[in-house]
Amino acid sequence: MAEAAKACAKDLPESALVPSEHLKFVNRFEVTRGDACISCGLCASLCPYGVHKRIEGHAKILPPDDRKCIGPSCEVNYFFCVANCPTGSLSVRESETFASMGDPRWTPEMILATWAQAETGRPLSLDHPGNLGASGGGFDKLSFKLPEPVGKVDPADICTAIDLNRRGSGTKIRIPIPIYGGGMSFGSVSVYTMLARAKAARMWGTFTCTGEGGYPEALVPYKDHVITQIATGLFGVREETIQRTRIVEFKYAQGAKPGLGGHLLHDKNTPDVARMREAVPYTSLFSPFPFHSVYSVEDHKKHLDWALSINPRALMAVKVSTPNDVEMVSVGSYYAGAHIVHLDGGYGGTGAAPEIAKKNIAMPIEYAIPKVHRFLAKEGIREQVVLLASGGLRTAMDVAKAIALGADGAVVGTADLVALGCVRCGNCESGRGCPRGIATTDPELEKLTDADWGAGRISNLYNAWRLQWCELLHRLGMSDISQLRGRTDLLRHADKPAKEVGK
Amino acid sequence: MFERFHVPIKVIANRAGPVPKFVIVRADNCVNCGKCEKACIYGVHVRSELDSRKMADPINNLCKNCFRCIHDCPQWSLSMAPGAEYKALGKGVWSPLRISTIWGEAETGKIPVFGAGYRGIFAGSGYDGMWTDMSEIVRPTRDGIHGREYISTSADVGRKPPVLEFDGSGKMRTEMPPLVELPVPMVMDVTRLRAMTEATIQGYAQAAKRLDMLLFAATGSLPASASAELTSHFVPVYPSGTDVARIELPQGARMAELSFAPSWKDDAKAFRARFPETVLSFRFDAGKGVEQRVLDLVRAKIDVAHILYDEEGMELDRGELRHSKESLRAVHKAMVSKSVRDQITVIAGGGIAAAEHVPKSIICGADLVALEKALLIALECRDCITCELASCPVNLSSASAEWVEGRISNLVGAWRDQLLEVLGAMGLREVRRLRGELGRAIFYEEVERDAFSDIEGGVGDG
Repeated sequence: MAEAAKACAKDLPESALVPSEHLKFVNRFEVTRGDACISCGLCASLCPYGVHKRIEGHAKILPPDDRKCIGPSCEVNYFFCVANCPTGSLSVRESETFASMGDPRWTPEMILATWAQAETGRPLSLDHPGNLGASGGGFDKLSFKLPEPVGKVDPADICTAIDLNRRGSGTKIRIPIPIYGGGMSFGSVSVYTMLARAKAARMWGTFTCTGEGGYPEALVPYKDHVITQIATGLFGVREETIQRTRIVEFKYAQGAKPGLGGHLLHDKNTPDVARMREAVPYTSLFSPFPFHSVYSVEDHKKHLDWALSINPRALMAVKVSTPNDVEMVSVGSYYAGAHIVHLDGGYGGTGAAPEIAKKNIAMPIEYAIPKVHRFLAKEGIREQVVLLASGGLRTAMDVAKAIALGADGAVVGTADLVALGCVRCGNCESGRGCPRGIATTDPELEKLTDADWGAGRISNLYNAWRLQWCELLHRLGMSDISQLRGRTDLLRHADKPAKEVGK
Repeated sequence: MFERFHVPIKVIANRAGPVPKFVIVRADNCVNCGKCEKACIYGVHVRSELDSRKMADPINNLCKNCFRCIHDCPQWSLSMAPGAEYKALGKGVWSPLRISTIWGEAETGKIPVFGAGYRGIFAGSGYDGMWTDMSEIVRPTRDGIHGREYISTSADVGRKPPVLEFDGSGKMRTEMPPLVELPVPMVMDVTRLRAMTEATIQGYAQAAKRLDMLLFAATGSLPASASAELTSHFVPVYPSGTDVARIELPQGARMAELSFAPSWKDDAKAFRARFPETVLSFRFDAGKGVEQRVLDLVRAKIDVAHILYDEEGMELDRGELRHSKESLRAVHKAMVSKSVRDQITVIAGGGIAAAEHVPKSIICGADLVALEKALLIALECRDCITCELASCPVNLSSASAEWVEGRISNLVGAWRDQLLEVLGAMGLREVRRLRGELGRAIFYEEVERDAFSDIEGGVGDG
């Protein structure tokens, strides 16, 4: 076992520092200096973190640089500036800028923690607040029952790889981490963002996905790590885009807008995007729903066969959302010949979706995974299907919980974007798109994201995640992530207080 | 010529100032370099018109929380805080987000569409603990957002006879009860609203006429100037204790509503005798035994049961109060088990605070929902704790009837379109089929138990 694990943990990319000066704008704490300050400079000489700075010759001390402050808990230190200030003009409190960020699903802690992982590649501790959202349900109420750590984990001893084809025949593809990148179309995000994701996917030997907006030429050098998506809009789907890929993904529905088809609002349909989609620039593009050629499992099989006849080596992935009968849909997909069944839960990301659909249509992924996992097992086909989960998986721990609930692995999207500096302001749908240059096709804004820089950050994030999975598996006495699948006995739900901690 | 139902929408500007969600603070150390002006793509930061050497105060309501100005500022002099006034809006299900969403819908008439995934809490009480189903493939009747005109949202108000009887010559013997057909499963009810002026009632009535809806209001509240045309979309609501023998229905009224009283059977008889062609509705507070009361109304051949909940959607009358989600399901089930479901129309009012509450109420068993507080919020109401027209922060008393009409049309248009989204995703072609479709809904308690019962500490874990 250990030998096998060592083999699968070989040749993974190292993390390197990929900082962003931009993303250092916010801290949890805010230091204010009142008018009573006499610029004596005592605080500057005391603070070891460099919050206060006084330049010789200047009449006034500089405003505090509170990004470096460690917060009110500093009061135990002899150098605590607030207590030492002779005029009592300093105060430290929770930052309001920090509180203005994020939302219950992506808390400000989680965004900052993801940025830190993307910058350094260093893992969070498993119980770090950035690993748990505040939405009060689903993953945010589940935690692992962790025994006390015994010794230190050597990541080289732990295998986090998964197979993407568990049927007896066809191409074998194995990815060293149990995640690949979800579809984000050209149009919803910039080509630089797509490139950053594709480069990171190549570094890690995993995949990213074109989304439904066609296959930009810039991605062709990364074709072994790019999934071609065939969605209901069929934008830019051609023989050559299917032939060049190793995995074809049929997108039936998307968790954030199940049953509605893709949305690209008019402003974002720039001439470049329109050319790729063979559409009229600056018109809103609403994809149909569903595939009008698919009204049954038999039709579905025909669909997959059609793609297979164009590219017989490719694996077939089927992306569906989570209705009541999601387990039947999954079984149908298996019998139609899918290698990968990809469930996209209702709380997943999107470039544009009606608010009513995001919250209210179809169930969250946390419910769909065990439902499908058990049903496939009962049907006796669980070992032939690769079940991937997505839709609101934000952290390494979310992925681990999804696996413990019964998935083989996960598909991530929003976390990649947060690594690139997304603050989840939610304004990607219209106008010039993302003001931060991620989910935009505005020729000026898209230049804010450099593909190599972004690839480094996403790669760092994956590294940090892998190290957390290694730590988790080690704590649980496992050496391979596939051992974690379906182990709901290792989870605890926060609805009722923990019993006596057993084994 | 047959005309498809269509809600005409047009931007109807806000009258009062916006309530910014975020407030940007510029500290004293700003050097007026203007980098924030370049950074912001929404126009929050501009130079002062009076003195172009200086930056003007940030225009907070344009801020979309992207933080670009904050990290582009070389002086670190900008910071952001959640807007205090925004955070203080409303309470309970009337959250700041819901209130500002209604403002936006009433202004533009459009479906709110935004980027990024769902941002709220996982699930909650009432309608927050419920998801609607969708169907993955086998629904040949729809096409994403295309082909929506083929989905019917019309609803009937009235009673339907269980069977039709014919005499020997083939002539129908059954007397068909009066029926009002509406193009949307929504009515307006202003009887429980605060802060009504003549102009707002007139505006609501005009909107009801324009959209072919019904406006429920206290008898006589429609201004004398209102034309006879408006009265056919007006449902007078009589308080309990009204002497039915003395009722004068407004000319053209198709429906009237009595408040439930112990004498309701006699009231109904007297009303029927005088106005056989008018749809008769009884309104009453939901509470313990609401199921039985609706069954009683069915037996007495009353056309409509108008069930009232409070602003939060909770039952009003004694006992352990249920949310309308549970209460309506109980009512619906009681009628289905007696095979009388179509013999009465159920209108549910109260707690309808967002577009999603319309399909959810209907799934739970209502035929139609009554919009109440949402009608006031659409007029930019701030939902103050004490409500005085004289000190209204949005000066509601100066709102014109035309403005009110436009805002309400936009709100109904946006909500109908969102109802179509849900119906489209479910693969339903008619909102009538949505009623009581509990199998096409996902309830928090049930899925939580199904998914997590084997997890320590989860629901059902002993």
